[in-house]
Amino acid sequence: MKNYLAAGLAVVLAAGCAGVQEAPPSEMAQSAPVLVEPALGGPSQDRAVAAGPPAAGPRQPVMAGNEAVGIEPEAGALAPQTPTSKSPSAAKAARPLVESPARVSAAPPAVVQPRKIEDPPAVARNPEPPLDVAALKARLRDTNAIGVFTKLALKNQVDDLMQQFRTHHQSGQPSVASLRQPYDMLVLKVLSVVQDNDPALARTISASREAIWGILADPEKFNSIA
Amino acid sequence: MITRARFSALILSLAVLLAGPSPAAEDVTLLKDLTAVIMLLGMPCGQVVGAKQQAANDHIASCENGNRYRVYLNAAGRVVAQKQ
Repeated sequence: MKNYLAAGLAVVLAAGCAGVQEAPPSEMAQSAPVLVEPALGGPSQDRAVAAGPPAAGPRQPVMAGNEAVGIEPEAGALAPQTPTSKSPSAAKAARPLVESPARVSAAPPAVVQPRKIEDPPAVARNPEPPLDVAALKARLRDTNAIGVFTKLALKNQVDDLMQQFRTHHQSGQPSVASLRQPYDMLVLKVLSVVQDNDPALARTISASREAIWGILADPEKFNSIA
Repeated sequence: MITRARFSALILSLAVLLAGPSPAAEDVTLLKDLTAVIMLLGMPCGQVVGAKQQAANDHIASCENGNRYRVYLNAAGRVVAQKQ
């Protein structure tokens, strides 16, 4: 009887593990919309960099010299209290008040710290790594975010666009400007089918849009990948 | 008291129920795939709400707007959505 129980438990556990393989896509699909939306508007890094200056903007005027004007009234508000106190104990109590303007005047170095905070966004602007077209192709081929029919349809459309670029580089007939719209449309199509279940790939494609265009529009680079 | 035969049958039935993806999950994947294909090919459809397989790589897709498309892979290796 124990043998049957052990065998039965093993079968149930194995079956349970087989069922778990189907779970991740649905979980990814549920979490995808929240993660992908920033990628569609453009590279998230650009937004982070663009968001930096407005946050730092209000601080700079404060440090520019208006700060001293803002602190002096506080010192002045404390100073008038000293003449009103006449007793020795009140004079002792007044000493800290007299010293406090010095402390307030020593405060500005602490306010200078936000300048250090402004530096990291400049450091974060690392040069973009070179685009790895082969790796991007492999990721598109291997992703489970889209089905076989969709991959084939996308490949058909990519091949059609590549043929148009090939014709352009040979005869110059379709202008580069006229190819930009179909290129953008194709990128949007790819993003629309990938973004829900593979947001990381969608972000990579979105960030690589201009780099890919640069390769397609340049005859030498195009011939190197075609 | 559960006999050995009943216990074995119970285990087997559990294994059959839990092992492998359910047909419904496969259907959802296929419907999403067909929806994406029809969208990529620029056909009006919305969501594909039903699909019937005619052959390998050959399906009839029913759209939520009432349109029906035959989605198949032609001899040239192109995915085609043909309105029915």
